Amino acid sequence: MANSSSFLECFAERVRTQPGAIALVENGEPVTYVELNAMQRAAHARITALGLPDGPVAVHAVKSARTIALVIACMRARRPFLLPSAELGATTLETLLTQAGCADVLTADEAKGIPGERVHHIDCVSPVAAAPDQGVPADGDVTFMLTTSGSTGLPKIVPLHAGAVDRFTDWAAQQFDLRPGVVVLNYAPLNFDLCLLDIWATLKAGGTAVLVPHERATNGKYLAELVRANRVEVVQSVPMLYRLLADAAGETPFASVRKVIVTGDKIQPRLLGELPTLFPRAGIYNLYGCTETNDSFLFEVGGRFHRESDPAADLPIGHPLPGVDAVVLAEDGTVVEGPGMGELLVHTPFQTNGYLVAVNGPDRFVPLDANGSNGDGRRYFRSGDLVRRDDRGVFTLLGRNDFQVKIRGTRVNLEEIEHVFLDHGLVAEAAVIGMPDDIAGIRVHAVVRCTESNAVDSLALREHCRLRLPRAAIPATIRIVDEPLPTTSTGKIDRRAIGRTLLNGK
Amino acid sequence: MDIAFEIKSYIVDEFLPDITADQLSADYDLIGSGVIDSLGLLKVISWLENHFDIVVDDVEIAEHDFVSVDAISAFVNRAARVPVSDR
Repeated sequence: MANSSSFLECFAERVRTQPGAIALVENGEPVTYVELNAMQRAAHARITALGLPDGPVAVHAVKSARTIALVIACMRARRPFLLPSAELGATTLETLLTQAGCADVLTADEAKGIPGERVHHIDCVSPVAAAPDQGVPADGDVTFMLTTSGSTGLPKIVPLHAGAVDRFTDWAAQQFDLRPGVVVLNYAPLNFDLCLLDIWATLKAGGTAVLVPHERATNGKYLAELVRANRVEVVQSVPMLYRLLADAAGETPFASVRKVIVTGDKIQPRLLGELPTLFPRAGIYNLYGCTETNDSFLFEVGGRFHRESDPAADLPIGHPLPGVDAVVLAEDGTVVEGPGMGELLVHTPFQTNGYLVAVNGPDRFVPLDANGSNGDGRRYFRSGDLVRRDDRGVFTLLGRNDFQVKIRGTRVNLEEIEHVFLDHGLVAEAAVIGMPDDIAGIRVHAVVRCTESNAVDSLALREHCRLRLPRAAIPATIRIVDEPLPTTSTGKIDRRAIGRTLLNGK
Repeated sequence: MDIAFEIKSYIVDEFLPDITADQLSADYDLIGSGVIDSLGLLKVISWLENHFDIVVDDVEIAEHDFVSVDAISAFVNRAARVPVSDR
């Protein structure tokens, strides 16, 4: 891949050439490049004045222009920065800070109630004399430290070096035509890897990132109005946003949108079918990735490789991005050549060098020559995702390795069962888990929330399942609840919490 | 209380906590929809034996006799007509 350009150099160039252009929109208020630059300069001066010992810091990831300025200031201060979710419990946060070696926490927003003595409020607003420049982070310097979602325990810290982030943001800008003036919606929380595209690549390219405030992220009417009022051109989100927009759109499509990027989860065929009408002028993409490697696959809906013969089939994730190596590993550890199924391993130009803290269990970053033929010494990331590669080299995600359970001798994928529930028009959320059973080994249980109370009963859902699932995959119990299902810090359904509830409640 | 209603009441109590006996139609596919799986079937048989005082021989167990409330009612009527001593 061609030499990447550094974020700080690009940002400085934008400030110089387009000072009055809008960098961010926060709660309807524009923040120009020159204003954002003033904020990051103030933050940089105040961080420098703190005289903190060398080492990483944590940045309290409340989504705001000030926090974004603070992150830029951390890059300028040549400090790695951990961006923990703003919603982590105190104990988990403390553990993460210790693991990351972050003695100090920086926050741009006063009085947000984070505990600890080493919390420093960084004033990004009032002017202050600039601190000396410290150059830009080198390719191998760690900048962002993101975390995994922690759906299987403590979130894992994923350090990203500047080169990885710069290569990714350059790819994103080129692929999705991010340029000066482009308006991009930022839906994800600030600590999510998705922000590397919709905030950081946008700012690097001189565009405008429209920030969705966390507390309004499920308000469809607000979101629809935000997209319209700001004439948003690029949207990247998990499917939920598109569901909310579809329900709130009324008869009026979102004509300003040119790129619709679906990511983070499988999109339901029903919703996918609504997207071309909702976004009549947009290219629609399915983007696949994870925090450890960032994005690795892209598929264009309706493009050259899209077969529409089977509308109920899962949307492919498509082909590897430029510079990405993908390998399919069969259950016996051999590399699958050509069409076939297995676990996906990827090596990307954007990936981390590994978790900050070694994790228990088998290493997920593996040199491939341990398993296969390719001995180039690269470390591939074991995604844990099951994929199928067809005769045209098109990949389709089949599910997670770890959602496979055996029910009375039949292999069952819990995620597939969830998707069957979600395909029911009156189901809003579903979690399907396998629970140990003294007699059966494992029994499948479902917890379902409907779009409205008493919209559907378990008999109707069972009938829905009967028509779509092998009998072994039909849950032994289906519990219908009114409360939203518990989620992890990054918004994924928390199966462990649901499992505990089922254990205690039955 | 008729047999079908007793069976319905038992099944909703045991397997379908969100459903009332009246909501469960007599021809609903209990096996195909997973209300009664192989473990559930053992529970149902044990209950039938106790509740209707019938003996169900293992070899008699055929899935189609338990596919719906109607089928179970018919099974109970048939089994109850055969005195245990005649076997």
